[in-house]
Amino acid sequence: MTRKTYAEALIDALVERAGEDENFAMIGRGILGHGAQAHFAEPLMEKYGHRVTDPPTAEGAVASLGIGAAMAGTPMFLHFGTASFAMEAFNQIIHEAGVAHSMSGGQIKVPIVFHMFHGLRRGGSGQHSLSPQSMFANNPGLHLMMPTTPGDVKGMLRAALKSDTPTLFIDHAALLGTEGEVPDGPYEIPLGEAAIRREGKDVTIVATSRAVLWAEAAADRLAGDGIDAEVVDPRSVVPLDTETIVGSIRKTGRLVCVEEGIQMCSIGSEIAALAAEQAFSSLKAPVVRVARPPAPVPFSPPLEEAMMPGPERIIAAVKTVMG
Amino acid sequence: MTAPPEPGNRVALFHCMVLMRRFEEEVLRIAQDHPYVGRQHLHIGHEATGAGVVSALEAGDLFHTNHRNHGYLIARGADPGRALAEIMGRKDGLNGGLGGPWHLCDRSAGFQSTSAMVGGSVGLAVGAAFGLKTQGSKAISVTHFGDGTLDEGICYEALNLASLLALPVLFLCENNAKEGQRPSSMLAAKVLHDVPDALQIRSMVVDGRDADAVAATAAEAVAHVRGGSGPVFLQADLERWPGSHQTTPEFPTGVTDLSLAWEEDRIEGPHAEWVRDHDGLRAYAKKLLADGTLSQDQVLEIDRGVLAGIKEARAFAEASPYPDPSRLLDNVFA
Ligand SMILES: Cc1ncc(C[n+]2csc(CCOP(=O)(O)OP(=O)(O)O)c2C)c(N)n1
Ligand SMILES: [Mg+2]
Repeated sequence: MTRKTYAEALIDALVERAGEDENFAMIGRGILGHGAQAHFAEPLMEKYGHRVTDPPTAEGAVASLGIGAAMAGTPMFLHFGTASFAMEAFNQIIHEAGVAHSMSGGQIKVPIVFHMFHGLRRGGSGQHSLSPQSMFANNPGLHLMMPTTPGDVKGMLRAALKSDTPTLFIDHAALLGTEGEVPDGPYEIPLGEAAIRREGKDVTIVATSRAVLWAEAAADRLAGDGIDAEVVDPRSVVPLDTETIVGSIRKTGRLVCVEEGIQMCSIGSEIAALAAEQAFSSLKAPVVRVARPPAPVPFSPPLEEAMMPGPERIIAAVKTVMG
Repeated sequence: MTAPPEPGNRVALFHCMVLMRRFEEEVLRIAQDHPYVGRQHLHIGHEATGAGVVSALEAGDLFHTNHRNHGYLIARGADPGRALAEIMGRKDGLNGGLGGPWHLCDRSAGFQSTSAMVGGSVGLAVGAAFGLKTQGSKAISVTHFGDGTLDEGICYEALNLASLLALPVLFLCENNAKEGQRPSSMLAAKVLHDVPDALQIRSMVVDGRDADAVAATAAEAVAHVRGGSGPVFLQADLERWPGSHQTTPEFPTGVTDLSLAWEEDRIEGPHAEWVRDHDGLRAYAKKLLADGTLSQDQVLEIDRGVLAGIKEARAFAEASPYPDPSRLLDNVFA
């Protein structure tokens, strides 16, 4: 175990994979964004920079290039930057990568990872703040992973890179600087395995990506009020670990779903539906979802702040379900 | 509020350029004082292109901007105080604080919106041209974008449509490409206008640092478009200002000193070459002095007037409150 940043752990996974498979190729500019953690990509660029293609600003064609290369047998890691830019490639991702394996009767495999940064980033306004996870989850044939901790990002990225199924790997730039224990050497965190971040008996909070940190902060404060919250991080949205999530809801009888995406047809909507389908008789209160209001992200700081599903809004939601 | 420069009025053109420059310098100061204002894409070094093209347009023409949008709004008469308020996310901003620095919009000055998606404005401008043509209007549509925008597929599709339908649209490409330097373009075509040429779109190339040349070329381009002869691709070649993609708010070439137009030996610093050879604003001041259009005192007088206006604009923006969070959902649906 070594204590390191999320950014370093992410790069570790790429360096390890590049070392193992000389066919593995990467494409994209600024894999760790342009912020304070950008320099952590240096170990990758020094050793394997020649295998990272710097593309023109052409997300649609770049996605097609990655998908086609993967079909031809080159495992690919493709970095889009802001998730908003991946919308230029939405068609290629859902109609080419997502359908190829099934539509070809299982003949074609598409070993590609689409990496991007989602969410509210302060000042991103209406065109640089997208959280497209539920849009992607609403399409077949695509795995969807959203890590939260340094230990998880390394193991999850390795699993994604070794998979023959195209995988959306949706990160949050605000996580890059967070630190945690990271196992040394290669390891995989299998798809479809949720993590219980904090055990509790009164209420289940299911949160993804950065919202997990807010849920944990809320749970700490709720403990002071005598409310014992359990925080569940699905980690992979597709496939979804329904067993762990439903198990927790059955145990606590109360559910709050938290995410940065817009509430309509959200991940929280899916979890709430699961609760209704599989844990209905255990529920002691109606489910509450905490998500982004259905408006383009405003630039003005207090308005953007009001959009965040932060600890205050989570605490209020938990108090509602506690009655 | 300053009216856009009229064709042939070189003093007004210069005044407009000074206003554009001082406005952007104030944006940089605001970003220093209010870090939330974030990363800026300033129009510094593009003033000759911006003011020159604006001088060739009429009030009803529809303009489509990109991330480097501020200069165009100011040049076409958007209120600098409300523009600064928008950049600061304030209630009295042009967009009520909801757009911010990348998305300034002023419909009354002929702006449809500002797209910060690379290529977004190009497609929209072709659409506006289609709308104007359908309405039988004499107005034209304009879009400005960088060389790097030609990386995006939408440009090829939109240029093709504009050519096929002979739409009244002026494609203004601000070419600040620099060999071997990112970002900006990565084009296999070494000559940008080869792209529109291949699509049978009339192209013109101008030195984007030369305000008189831009004004004259733009007037010819606009006449072609307005006359119904189809689109024009106007390539304005620029030398990228050293701060054009910086992530922290600094003045890499210093705060503009217009007396350097006549005291050239004082030009110094790591970017002296840019100031001496590539700053279209300094070059225009020098030219207007040389041909007797303006005196040194008049140049400084214009600058003082502009600075006083910018000071007022900043005070207006600072005094404006943030919008109330309850306004969030006000304009989501029309
Ligand atoms: C679809 C999309 N992809 C990527 C970006 C990130 N981006 C912002 S500005 C820029 C460079 C644009 O270059 P150019 O068009 O030449 O304009 P310049 O900034 O040089 O004026 C890029 C790639 C974006 N805003 N939108
Ligand atoms: Mg450029």
